[in-house]
This record gives sequence, structure tokens and C-alpha cells, in this order.
Amino acid sequence: MAREQFHTELLRLQQEILRMGALVEEQMARAIQSLTDQNLELADQVVADDDRVDDLEINIERRCLTLLALQQPLAGDLRTVSTALKIITDLERMADHAVDIAKVTRRIASEPLVKPLVDIPRMATLAAHMVRSALNAYVARDIDMALSMIRMDDEVDQLYRVIFDDLIEIMRRDAQSSFQSTHLLFVANYLERIADHATNLGEWVVYMVTGERRGLE
Amino acid sequence: MSPTRTSPPAVALDHVSVWYGTEPALADVTLTVAGGQVLAVIGPSGCGKSTLLRAINRLVERTPGVRVSGRLTVGSEDVLAGGVSLEALRRRVGMVFQQPNPFPFSIYDNVAYGLKIHGERDPARLRARVQAALREAGLWDEVRGKLARPARALSGGQQQRLCIARALAVEPEVLLMDEPTAALDPLSTARIEELVDRLRGRYTVVLVTHNLQQAARVSDHTALLYRGQLVEAGPTPELFTAPREARTEQYLTGRLEG
Repeated sequence: MAREQFHTELLRLQQEILRMGALVEEQMARAIQSLTDQNLELADQVVADDDRVDDLEINIERRCLTLLALQQPLAGDLRTVSTALKIITDLERMADHAVDIAKVTRRIASEPLVKPLVDIPRMATLAAHMVRSALNAYVARDIDMALSMIRMDDEVDQLYRVIFDDLIEIMRRDAQSSFQSTHLLFVANYLERIADHATNLGEWVVYMVTGERRGLE
Repeated sequence: MSPTRTSPPAVALDHVSVWYGTEPALADVTLTVAGGQVLAVIGPSGCGKSTLLRAINRLVERTPGVRVSGRLTVGSEDVLAGGVSLEALRRRVGMVFQQPNPFPFSIYDNVAYGLKIHGERDPARLRARVQAALREAGLWDEVRGKLARPARALSGGQQQRLCIARALAVEPEVLLMDEPTAALDPLSTARIEELVDRLRGRYTVVLVTHNLQQAARVSDHTALLYRGQLVEAGPTPELFTAPREARTEQYLTGRLEG
């Protein structure tokens, strides 16, 4: 394969990652919607569509390994391919957490919500925004965008603490709610994990562009 | 090779330039190879790689009209100083070329050649040195009992290891290798690379190669030359994954014009 073709192949790899990222965002949005609307059908769809995410991951992974084997890329090209490998692992984990949330919907959909969900969707929106920004930073190879996106994780953590305190308070007042409240706490925890994976994406973008693996707090 | 051998010397270039005509083939290069380490020198054709190598053993001086400036040391010896014996220098600094170039002698005589030139006459000592050099070059098991056969009957890869044995026989401290696997198949190449790995620590090795993966596999440090100038030198793992210089990045990713 000529060098020029290799660089075309890298662009194609990038497009595949964007496709996977878009699907993961969609999975996250639908999982949260299934939860707020108590929509079992939507939850089932999220669970079923996880195979599509997995297929994309396997496909991209194969592309990366082929490029490593046949092109033996170096320097920035090497970092681009290895970053792709790391990014798809994080994306796949996020998608798994979307499935976890959809499964919570299935378990708690039979009874009305203890309270209207406000902070959980907000947290989900923030996490989704982080994923989107990380992928934009990846495509644009933009470190500033990656770094500002990483800082959003603090907001997510803050919301997580608010939700945690809220749900604990609800459980204290109404022991009957603890089954549902505990599950909602799981959801908040999954969202917190998703934001952490998004943070990883940002850190990988910084590595890809600069070659420096920073310990970002 | 002998147990009393001192550790191999550092090779240091200090603002070394080499002119063949009006244009410098090597321009103000400052670079140090630590003793016992393997330095890979990479860069596009005509970038000065071979000139750098040939400056170290002063082989460049065979080119008429050549001018060399700067300071070049092997250990504490100033190689470019007046009064340096070229014969003694080339005993300290061995060289292996791109094409295996065995002499039209037997295997044994090829390896013994340098020793005899340097005055070794004792048959027992000669035999011991030849055997030791062949062992060190990883060829002994393949040629024992066949030492009287013509060297040119060996395969290309074996011939190259014979040339390495010939270079090692006179107990050099530095080994210069100029694209030593360019003419070899992958398996022979792997054997030479393993050999370089075994020589690490006992010799200071400077290896010129066009094969970036080879440089990545065998060297401790890598230096990139471009149009006679040193672009970047650094630890191989770092240079190949996250080079500091834009031109290194371009070269390693196939975007730098020769």
C-alpha cells in the first residue's frame, strides 16, 4: 500500500470511529429516555443495539491491526492508530453502561418514579456533551478542546454528589423507595463512569497530538 | 572478548563537518554514542549517513579532495588528530558493509586475515581467535569442520556473518555497520539483528540502515540525518513514538522529501 493510500486509510478509520461514537451517543440518549419515560420498548432496543456497537468495535479493531501489521506506522501515525484502539475500548464501555441503564429501566418501570428525574438527565446530557467534544477534538486534533472537555468531568462529579445526597435523603424518608432509589443511584454511577471514559478519550487525543501521556487529574 | 577487556568506548562527534566539494556532506554534526550502545543512523539517501560512518574510521579520506573538520573522539583518542595511525584506528574500529565482501580465500583465512596482518603468527593462538570470532558472530556451528572451504560458497547471510567474524577477530572496540542486511533475506536479516543485540554492551555499534523497523528493533538510540544535518537524536523508543522535531515526524510518516 502506498503511503498516500495509508493516509486515506487513516481518514477512513477516523470516520468509522465517528460512526461508532455517534451510535454510542444515541445509545446513551435512548437509555436515559427509556428511564425517564419508563419506556420498556426503547430499553429493549438499547439492549439489542449493543451488538451493533460491538460489531463496529471489532471492525475498527481489525482495521487497526491490519494497518499496524502491513504499514508498521511510526511517530504520529503510530499514535493515531494506537489512539483509535484505545478510543474504541472506551466507547464500547460507555455503550455497555448505556445497556446497564436500559436494564435499570426494565427493573423499575413497573412502579411510578419516586420523583421526576431532573438531575440524572442533566448529568446524561453533560456526559454526552463530553463524548461529542472528545470526538470533535479527536477529528480536529485540537488539544485545547480536549483539555476543556476533560475539565467538564468536575461538573459531572458534582452532579453525581448532588444526586447521591438526594437519593439518600429520599431513602431515609421513605424506606419503600429504596429499591428504586438504589437503582437510580446505579444509573448516576453509570453516568459518572461514562464521563470518566469520555475523559480518557480526551487524554488519548492529547497523547495522539503531543506524544505526551499526561497524568490529568 | 577476553575477560580482561575494558568497557567499550564512547564515540563522540563534536561539530564534525565533511566536504567532498563545496557542499558539506556532513554539516556540523554533534552527537555522542555511549560506550556499549547501539546507535542507528537513519535518513533519506544522500543524507550523510555513510559519510558519518566513514568519518569515524576515517575511510572518507580515500575520497580525493575531501575535507573534514571538527573533533571526533573514540574513547579518549582524538581520531582526527595528526599522527593517528590509521592501521591502529581501524583495528579499534571495525566495519561491515552492505554487500558481504569475503575475500576469495577459505572461511578460515578470511577470519585469520586481519590477525595475520596485525602480526599474529602463532598457529594455536590464530586458531583460537578464529574460532572465538566465528562463535561470537554466530557462525561457528554452521562452519565447524568446513573451515577450509571457500568463503564464497556460503550463503549471503552466512557471508555477512563471516564478515562480522572477520571484523571481530582483531578485537575492535567499535563496530560500524553500513546497511548490513540490505542484501539479505528476512531470516538472515533476523540473525544479523540478533547478533547486533548480542554484541551490545561489548562493542559500541553504529548502524546505518534504511530499514526503520530494523533501527527500531536493534538500537538504543537513533539519529536522523537530513541533507547532512543532524535533525534529531534520542532514545529509540521515544524517537519512534513521539519525536520532538517536525522533520523527524515527517520522515517517519513518509512525508519528507529526500
